Amino acid sequence: MKVKSSYIPYFLILPAFAYLLFFVGYPLVQALYTAFTQNGHFSLATVRKTFTDPYFWDALKYTITLAGVIVPTQVALAIILALGVNRVFKGKDFTIYALTIPLTISDVAAGLIWYSMLSPSGFLNKLLLNIGLINNPIYFFGYQYRHMEFLAIVLAELWRATSIVFVIILAGLQMISHEYLEAAEVFGADYWTRLRKIVIPLLKPSIQSALIIRTLFAMQIFGIVWILAGRDIPILAGEGFYRLTELKEYDVASIYALVIAGLSIILGALYIKFMKAEYLEVRG
Amino acid sequence: MSRKIGFAGVLVLVLLGAIVSGCIGGEETTSPTTTEQVTINWLSTQLNPPEERAFVQEQLLKEFKDQSGIDVNFVPISYSDLATRLEAEEQTGEVTIDLVADLHGGLDFFNSQAWLEDLSGKTLEGRTFISTFEKYATIDGKKVYIPWMSATYVMVVNKKAFDYLPAGLTQDDVMKGTEKWDYNALLEWAKNLKEATGQPQLGFPAGPKGLLHRFLHGYIYPSFTGYQAKNFDSPEAVQMWNYLSELWQYVNPASTTWDAMGEPLLRGEVMLAWDHTARIKNAIESNPDQFVVVPVPRGPKGRGFILVVAGLAIPKNAPHQDEAWKLIDYLTKPETQVKILENVGFFPTVQEATGAIPSGPLKVLAEGVTAQSATPDAVVAMIPNLGEKGGQFTDAYRTAFQRIVLKGEDPETVVKELGPQIKALFQEMGQEIP
Repeated sequence: MKVKSSYIPYFLILPAFAYLLFFVGYPLVQALYTAFTQNGHFSLATVRKTFTDPYFWDALKYTITLAGVIVPTQVALAIILALGVNRVFKGKDFTIYALTIPLTISDVAAGLIWYSMLSPSGFLNKLLLNIGLINNPIYFFGYQYRHMEFLAIVLAELWRATSIVFVIILAGLQMISHEYLEAAEVFGADYWTRLRKIVIPLLKPSIQSALIIRTLFAMQIFGIVWILAGRDIPILAGEGFYRLTELKEYDVASIYALVIAGLSIILGALYIKFMKAEYLEVRG
Repeated sequence: MSRKIGFAGVLVLVLLGAIVSGCIGGEETTSPTTTEQVTINWLSTQLNPPEERAFVQEQLLKEFKDQSGIDVNFVPISYSDLATRLEAEEQTGEVTIDLVADLHGGLDFFNSQAWLEDLSGKTLEGRTFISTFEKYATIDGKKVYIPWMSATYVMVVNKKAFDYLPAGLTQDDVMKGTEKWDYNALLEWAKNLKEATGQPQLGFPAGPKGLLHRFLHGYIYPSFTGYQAKNFDSPEAVQMWNYLSELWQYVNPASTTWDAMGEPLLRGEVMLAWDHTARIKNAIESNPDQFVVVPVPRGPKGRGFILVVAGLAIPKNAPHQDEAWKLIDYLTKPETQVKILENVGFFPTVQEATGAIPSGPLKVLAEGVTAQSATPDAVVAMIPNLGEKGGQFTDAYRTAFQRIVLKGEDPETVVKELGPQIKALFQEMGQEIP
């Protein structure tokens, strides 16, 4: 079998392409069809129905707000942690292990762990009551305490998902050649200058990947919110799930899925456009 | 190089093959066997979760085969799939289903479509069906199904809570469900508990997967208005919502995140809770001495509660009716019924079985359930069978709850807005408003 070598790359991506076509493309087309047709005809009725439901706008608002609070905090925290760990000290390996443990825990399990810690009879309240800091337990859960539920979700997400950002950033840090830093040191650059002029610019590709991964996952946030706040804090994935499983509104659920997909695509594109990775050698 | 391409090609083919076969290979093709060995097809919307399915296949059906020599093909199926398949088979006249198990509402619908045999003439020895179930299984003089399993929703009380009973209410009143055990007494009790312990001690499963809507349409609505939906926007309903808003001050606020009350009871976050028997079973099992199961309180119109009944019915022109009847006989034997309660937590429908339950946590549960069923002021509610629209029905109650109790909107405005929507659902389905 003799094949023109220029076709080879296409053959090589064929399996991945087929995979995407069946497992992403087909459901996507199906979702578009379910969302925009009624009795076989094009219709915007479902879109209208979804967009007039106050739950939809709440869900959109909370999903974006949660991402807006959680993702930047995670990246900042991860950079600080990675910088702290990226040096030689006793117990370095243990510290890295400890920091990455939450990576292995599913979001539902993380939700349950934080639920039992923060519940009125949980660890935190017991501790504060016993040392006499408070007289009544602090309520974190329930519709009346939505701002506290929000806080609980942020805490749980920071704990659970900062480690993935941390791992990516740490890997990025370790790839930065010491020659640059040593050279800068020779020219008298202090720690902050080195950080600002060398480390952060060279970390940009890692930060970009971490941001993309975390933001896309943040659009799909589900398990933790579902456990800690139920529908008190509506989120896009949760509402889509509720519409599908409880109300059997496949069309509305499709709109939710498409909104999540749309948001992810737009945000991903924005990151790629505005966060061009920089390479010192290339910069003229 | 060409070998690599060949490999990629094979990979694509394998992938395609897997997908195609996965998509169209799942269809089931069953045909009645004509050999001596009879296999009957039993389609059930009940006992579908894997562990319950395993119990049916590995225990019940194995024992049935040992006793009767009949093989049973147990097919767990959703209600909508069952309805579609039954309709298709009855219309073409090629019936392959020998036995169906579904909830009262579904079987009622199948009967209205004339898809079920009349079971009137047949008798089952050595058992007495509880009269309420017997009554519901007979529709217009036709015995539509044999009551098989039941479930309900009850209140669970942590025994410590009895120390804070309001004046005039005794533990016996609560356990037996007397006149005095009403919604006002519950309010007083919940208030006492909050004042004494500093924390709200009443809990409801008001989370997204919780069953609070059943409490609303099947318990408090019938208790206050006499009906589940008919008086949804009546003045009595407004009074009921005002009551519920007042009661909510003494309800643990985290209720809106709870899907099942077993865990909060075990963790000691609440002392009083309402939920489905299956969802509090774990609390009773881990701590049978700590908790009692009691009837729900009554309201001005009586003691509203839901009875969930699953029945067994034989489709019209089913190929193996005698064998199916033998299976019904086996499944409703008191011993089998106790076994079902022990393994999957559904309650018996025959009186002999209740007496045969060994003492322990299940006895605690069964006693509460029996006490509730036996209350003289019972207003029994059946979950309406609205098929796919069922979600919209329950969502309307949940929305009303959220807007009135949680967001503090005016109850009259909300019920006037949602009432017509609920009633329209029943009209669309051509059903009487319950």
